[in-house]
Amino acid sequence: MATKPDTIYRAFDRKASAIVEFTLRQYRTKTSTWVVLGVGFTALALIFLIYIDVMGSEFESVDNDGDSTDYDNDGYPKGQELRLGTDPWDSESHPGLFDTPIEPDPISMYINEDGFDWDINSKIGSQTTGIDDDGDCLNSNKTDSQKDTNDNGVPCDIIVEYFRSSDGNIYTYVYADSGVDEDPDEDAYSREAIHMAFVLSIGKLGFVLLLGIFLPLFMATGLIRDEMSSGTMHFMLAKPIARSEVFLYRTLGYLGIVWPYVIVLGILGALVSGFAGSGDAFFRFADLGVWLAIIFATMMATLVYGMLFNALGVFWKYGIILAIPFAAWELGMALLSMGAPDAMLLRFSVIGWALMIVDAAAMLVWPNLDLFIVMGQWGGGGQGSGWDFDSSLEGSGPLDFFSSKPGLGLSAFTAMIVATLVMLFQAAILWFIGGAIFKGKEIQ
Amino acid sequence: MIPDFDQQGAAETKQWVPEVSAPAILLENVSKSYGRIFALSNITLALNGGVTGVLGMNGAGKSTLFNLLMGKLKPSQGSIKLFGTDPWKNPAPYARVGFVPEHEKMYDWMTGYGFVSTFARLNGLTRDEASVEANRVLEFVGLTDVAYKKIGQYSKGMRQRAKIAHALVNDPELIILDEPLQGCDPLARTTIMNLIRELGRMGRTVLVSSHILQEIERITEQIVILHQGRLLALGNLHSIRERLDKIPHRISIQAENPKELAKDVIDIDEVYGVSFPDGKNISIQTHNLGAIHSQLPRIIVDNNHKVSTIDNPDDDLASILGYLTSGGGM
Amino acid sequence: MAAAITPQPVEYAAETPVTGKVRLEAAWGSTEGDEDFTTTASSAPKPDGQVFKPQYKQWNGQLNPRWMRNWAILRHHLLGIFKKGHRPWGMPIRLYLLVVFIASLTDVGLTLVSALIGDSGLHSIWGVSRDNLYGHVLGFFPRNMLYYPVIAALLVGGVISEDRQHGTSALYFSRPITRFDYVGMKFLSVALIQGLIILVSLSLYYFAEIAAMGRGWAWIIDTLPMFLATVFSAVLLIFTYTSIGLSLSSVSKGKFFPGIALLSIILGTKILAFIVSNLFDREILYLISPYDCLAHVGQAIIGTQPTYDQYSWTWSLASLVAMNALALYVLTTRVSSMEVTRE
Repeated sequence: MATKPDTIYRAFDRKASAIVEFTLRQYRTKTSTWVVLGVGFTALALIFLIYIDVMGSEFESVDNDGDSTDYDNDGYPKGQELRLGTDPWDSESHPGLFDTPIEPDPISMYINEDGFDWDINSKIGSQTTGIDDDGDCLNSNKTDSQKDTNDNGVPCDIIVEYFRSSDGNIYTYVYADSGVDEDPDEDAYSREAIHMAFVLSIGKLGFVLLLGIFLPLFMATGLIRDEMSSGTMHFMLAKPIARSEVFLYRTLGYLGIVWPYVIVLGILGALVSGFAGSGDAFFRFADLGVWLAIIFATMMATLVYGMLFNALGVFWKYGIILAIPFAAWELGMALLSMGAPDAMLLRFSVIGWALMIVDAAAMLVWPNLDLFIVMGQWGGGGQGSGWDFDSSLEGSGPLDFFSSKPGLGLSAFTAMIVATLVMLFQAAILWFIGGAIFKGKEIQ
Repeated sequence: MIPDFDQQGAAETKQWVPEVSAPAILLENVSKSYGRIFALSNITLALNGGVTGVLGMNGAGKSTLFNLLMGKLKPSQGSIKLFGTDPWKNPAPYARVGFVPEHEKMYDWMTGYGFVSTFARLNGLTRDEASVEANRVLEFVGLTDVAYKKIGQYSKGMRQRAKIAHALVNDPELIILDEPLQGCDPLARTTIMNLIRELGRMGRTVLVSSHILQEIERITEQIVILHQGRLLALGNLHSIRERLDKIPHRISIQAENPKELAKDVIDIDEVYGVSFPDGKNISIQTHNLGAIHSQLPRIIVDNNHKVSTIDNPDDDLASILGYLTSGGGM
Repeated sequence: MAAAITPQPVEYAAETPVTGKVRLEAAWGSTEGDEDFTTTASSAPKPDGQVFKPQYKQWNGQLNPRWMRNWAILRHHLLGIFKKGHRPWGMPIRLYLLVVFIASLTDVGLTLVSALIGDSGLHSIWGVSRDNLYGHVLGFFPRNMLYYPVIAALLVGGVISEDRQHGTSALYFSRPITRFDYVGMKFLSVALIQGLIILVSLSLYYFAEIAAMGRGWAWIIDTLPMFLATVFSAVLLIFTYTSIGLSLSSVSKGKFFPGIALLSIILGTKILAFIVSNLFDREILYLISPYDCLAHVGQAIIGTQPTYDQYSWTWSLASLVAMNALALYVLTTRVSSMEVTRE
């Protein structure tokens, strides 16, 4: 070589590609890589299988208003008798005794016959909605004031009120006139609710939290530290390359394994939930938006945590121990994000921002999610089954827990962009810090 | 990128230019301490060109010195410059340096060729350039036929040669080898010593460390002796030895008839004493080793003595160090 | 017959350096051409080379019985907890063992307190009963969340992996110790240390009840079956955690990876199964969680209220057997193929 280049600020792509390729090949030879990837895949596959099983099962249909029962044993269900004007409690009075006898209706006509058909926005204040599908309010022989039990001057409707309480949280109240939307289709609702809850819970807890923390924990902490301990760091450092470059390129190599893995698992999840999901469509195309956000959020999380754990490993030989309380903190923050998404504390965590991306996407893809949850929580307003007087429909509870507004009061797109920028900024800062710590380390 | 704060003038746009007059290695009053223990104290050294041997017992500070040169450690005091630049602050000089570390750990899963060419790219070479250079150096060290085997299957000597190949791939002007002959079989030793001499002949600056004097002697005349972290001697071994020649040396001869031999030997002028450590050996004390050795063969053969071994028990590093540190007679 | 040898002039150059040994060689000729000389001056001509007949004498001494050697290994590991000069377990581990032991004795303490102050209400909460015996060994919070899995993780951390990393297994295998003994004694030592904490505290609990409440033989006969069932559950728990932990330790070379992996398996599968069961009302995933399998089996044999109602406890037992078999298989394969050098 005739002239020797004299600066380290050159040929970044060559140096980067050399270290990235080397890191990828090194990962391939380590058993721990395969174990971690395999365990992640197995765990998620198990959950997908359970999801498929749940989606394949029926939810029990409950006749919430009891109008399919034949109380007087005259062969006619109560609903039919009410509709045709005979006395449902008197076995002597039934439509079979009309001049032109009317045949008894099948009982299924009176189960889940009056479901939700609401059409309101999620905003503070009262709105009226609700249509009495089966006519047991509008067409009954009740007086007008009996039809308007919620006293708003409109017979047979439902008032939905959002209000902000003194503690800053938003509560909803539902006041329904009796007989309106009282017998919803449990199967349809619960399937939809459980499907959405599954996507959100797997996305947030499974992908962003568990994959996002465990993959870097086992794969990124040793990126530099293992080389320093085994004495092979020399081969990378005694070259015209800055130490922070080595730090960055090693992290890029780690991402070269982790990102494709996350993408593949995410696509698998999207396919499973798309085909096995609820609803009549062959493939739930719209959900892809949420899955895309989940994949992206997990990629960002693995990037930031990767930089962080790498820096921890450089900082201390037993840096993996420091990573554990941090992981516990992030778990707490994840739960906080689901419980109280507006908490300021979340802004100091990594996962708060990642989950914001997922929440924003959910808001975009399922714009009526909020309303859907409120409907399910109300559940027809009946007495409910069992001893707890809880009339909420199955699936609405978990869905309520796992979904949240993006927080910070931002719109969906803005939230996603802000969160992405913040996480990139976090990653850059951690790179800077990690590189600086590495620069000052003596390697024995 | 993070700017290098130590460069003068316009920060990132100005190319780093090595000072033309800067020696390859320059240490000025370098000390390295760990708490109260000084691994190196007050070393001042300049090296430029040729093969230099660094000698010292285990624990004298050779590895510390080499780690300092390679930017793995930071000097507690003093300054180190490679081609005029401090390697701890700016890794740019490494483009011209090749270092062969002492420890054995390598990437056993890589092939020899893969190992050399991958890390060659960290010098800024493209894949093709790295491939060409890797083949060149592998041929130079003699590993061409095993280049595509995994390093885990290499013998110790082959691993050493692979490390040397890795160090030579960027055609460095300064090559530093830390105990390269340690643990090698005789064939590997010869190969590596020839390599080092060849590099010296090619005009590079080569720094080799060892604790065995005889090894260094076969390679070079320039030596640096370290002892307990201090610089004890520096310069041409020849002239150091001349000074040491004035110190009493012993030659130990195992003969069938020591007393007869002693009578003949005592006639040599330079012998000032003969002793009998045990029944079979005589020990000749002299101030002039060379003269004795040139006359001894004739005496033995002419008088038909039966001699089984001739040895210079003082001719190892420990004795030299002993003389140097005790300051006896100098 | 000695050939004439003339000393050659010595040149001072890099190839012919200048110390005595090499001058010696320059005088006598360098060692490289030795084979050219027929003889040099020597005392008596020896035939060229001689092979000495190897005399291997078998040692006819008495090898001590196998149990004694194994006991030595076991003792080395056990005593390391309290004494110097044995396997150094590390200060954090010892401290945590002490903390867990004391924390496990809360029910003992409260039983004694309730007897002292004669509060039957307190005693009905804390005294020996099926639920409390079950809770002492298999209760999730805090024992199986913070205490027992963590001590298992700390103990298995470096037990085999450090030997692999530093190559110190050579100390065992260069002696008449089989690999089964090696791993068996390590297994036993880790299990005994856990047993010391879990079983001893359990027994103290039982005996505190007998002593403090003045229980008679009738009571003892009545409660002995459930006590023994609890002991069995505890042994099952210790065995399972130890086998999983040791198999992880035989796979890894680091000091921390086995412990962290064990905790991840125990707590991670539990959390996963919990989330799924809450979300989808499906308890099937509990079968992959060692803790839940143990709890289910424990509930069945101790006789407390089962909390897993979607499937029978025999499934959990089968799953436990499978987990242990897999772990022991991995352990035995790794140890039997372990190279006795630094890997």
